[in-house]
Amino acid sequence: MIPVNGEVLQLLLILGAGLFALGLYGVLTRKNTIGLLIGLELMANAVNLNLVAFGRYHGGTDGQVFTLFTIALTVAEVAVGLALVILLHRSRRSTDLDAAADLHG
Amino acid sequence: MSAVANGFAALDGIEILAVDGLLAVSALGLLLVDVAMPAGNKRVIGYGALLLLGLAFAATFTLDLTGTALSGAYVGDGFAIWCKRIFIGAGFFGVLGGLDSTARIGPRRQGEYYQLLLMSVLGMTLLAGARDLILLMVSFELMSLPLYAMAAWGGIGNYPEQKGPIPGMTMPSKRRWHRPAEAGLKLYLVGAVSTVVALYGISLVFGLGGSTRFAVLATTLTGGPLLTLAVAMIVAGFAFKIGAAPFHMWVPDTYEGASTPFVAFLSVAPKAAGFAALVQLLLGPLAGMAATWTTLVVVLIVVSLLVGNLMAVPQQNIKRMLGFSGVAQMGFGLMALLAAGSVTAHDVASRGVRPEGLATLLFFLAAYMVANMGAFFTVEAVAAAGYTPGKPADERDDDDTLPTFAGLHSRSPALALAGLLFVLSLGGIPFAVGFWAKVWVLLSLWAAGFGWLVVMAAALSAAGLFYYLQVARSMYMKAPVGADGTTLPAVKVGGGLLLAIVLLALLTMGVGLFPGPVMEAARIAAGL
Repeated sequence: MIPVNGEVLQLLLILGAGLFALGLYGVLTRKNTIGLLIGLELMANAVNLNLVAFGRYHGGTDGQVFTLFTIALTVAEVAVGLALVILLHRSRRSTDLDAAADLHG
Repeated sequence: MSAVANGFAALDGIEILAVDGLLAVSALGLLLVDVAMPAGNKRVIGYGALLLLGLAFAATFTLDLTGTALSGAYVGDGFAIWCKRIFIGAGFFGVLGGLDSTARIGPRRQGEYYQLLLMSVLGMTLLAGARDLILLMVSFELMSLPLYAMAAWGGIGNYPEQKGPIPGMTMPSKRRWHRPAEAGLKLYLVGAVSTVVALYGISLVFGLGGSTRFAVLATTLTGGPLLTLAVAMIVAGFAFKIGAAPFHMWVPDTYEGASTPFVAFLSVAPKAAGFAALVQLLLGPLAGMAATWTTLVVVLIVVSLLVGNLMAVPQQNIKRMLGFSGVAQMGFGLMALLAAGSVTAHDVASRGVRPEGLATLLFFLAAYMVANMGAFFTVEAVAAAGYTPGKPADERDDDDTLPTFAGLHSRSPALALAGLLFVLSLGGIPFAVGFWAKVWVLLSLWAAGFGWLVVMAAALSAAGLFYYLQVARSMYMKAPVGADGTTLPAVKVGGGLLLAIVLLALLTMGVGLFPGPVMEAARIAAGL
């Protein structure tokens, strides 16, 4: 395994920040709810990458344990999100966010 | 052998999780009961949830929950116990006031609603004592995920036009049927993104501090640009959750679309939980970054007060109005947090300032919970009368608008009086409980040296009285006549909703007249 020193950590953090920004861009620009969920996943994976990188840098198991928990949280969150998208599709026959515009705003 | 011994050592002090354990067993137990019960009206599960929440609330008074557990990841102190009472109390009233509405919306699926609500309350009570980043985030998600499902609960599947009406169920209009799904989706998208944003900030905190324990982080975090970014992301993420402007855009839509008793719960409990999380992070491991986060919080306060008070005025839908008023109320909560974070040990020693910020926050959250839940239940009581003149048939039950309150005084004097009490408390008029909460927050903020903010908040609150009194005017000064000239019917409230409104009104008035003991209790809970 590659040892994570300061330089490698920096690279990993930049990669994580890029991933996060990409995901955020997707969330802000996508009109399709599936696309939104994919953006959300990218952001969550940036968090996981950060945690793993920091965990390896500091040593110990804290970072890995934290990552396992965040992965589980993301899975639960996306599962709820997909259920809501199915609900939207059943009522509006569309997964577009614009279909959900009954409430003002 | 020693690994086993260590495993048992981690269980030391586990008894302080008694209330959380009770809630966990309750939630899972109700799920089993729900599955085992024959299909049909499952109203009895609501009574079960009510009983268990009542037991949990009593347990916070009778059991000694102070101490440390899970090797320091979980702490029971006055703050945590006070927060637990708010969460469990909000859950109790949420169930009590929603019994009829839940049975009306989905008589056969009631069980899952109460189970989700208990899970959410469990997440909040765990959050109140979390002193570890992992536990904080897991309990925060345990709180949030059920809320998304509960917001969408109601409009499941296709509108049953071919199959005919479901027995035992009052059919809502088609438009209303589809609304909860939209409300849930909006709450979910904003909530999920804000969680990930906060989580990113927390991953940076973990990386810079090298630990997940708050006690360790408090000594290892030193500062720097990366930590500033982390603090900004954490504050922004949780500002979404508590619905403080400019992160409030989900608030009015979700409030309007979701069922009113659920909104009563949503508008107080998760917000108090968001404050609990902010207090633990910002006054705990991030206390050294106070210069950064107080600046951010000042911005949030100013924008929340402006947006909340000004946007509430033109709202015709009363749930949207209460949503924007809630944004302004969050400004007050943040002011208490600001006061708690800006009074340093130096101020206390040199100027004799009392560090009361945290106590005012606890008192404010309790006062806000009582009055805001009461206001939403009043809306539910009026809306449940189910009559909207001058509207097409398929919007008949779209009845949360201001005109439905016209002449409520002559239609149902007691309900109008309770409603008046709740809006006066939210508006901060003596001698309702909200008055003392606002005055105390302003006094502690003045002592912390934010005179200009106090003046601005007082002025905007006075302006905010306009929309609160608009409701009072509609109830007391207008004739009980609808837009189409028909006389509005009397409003009959019964069952759980009546009991919830009466209890909340008594609390609003009782604590408003005798605020001393509760304020003293808040001081003790805050460790003063």
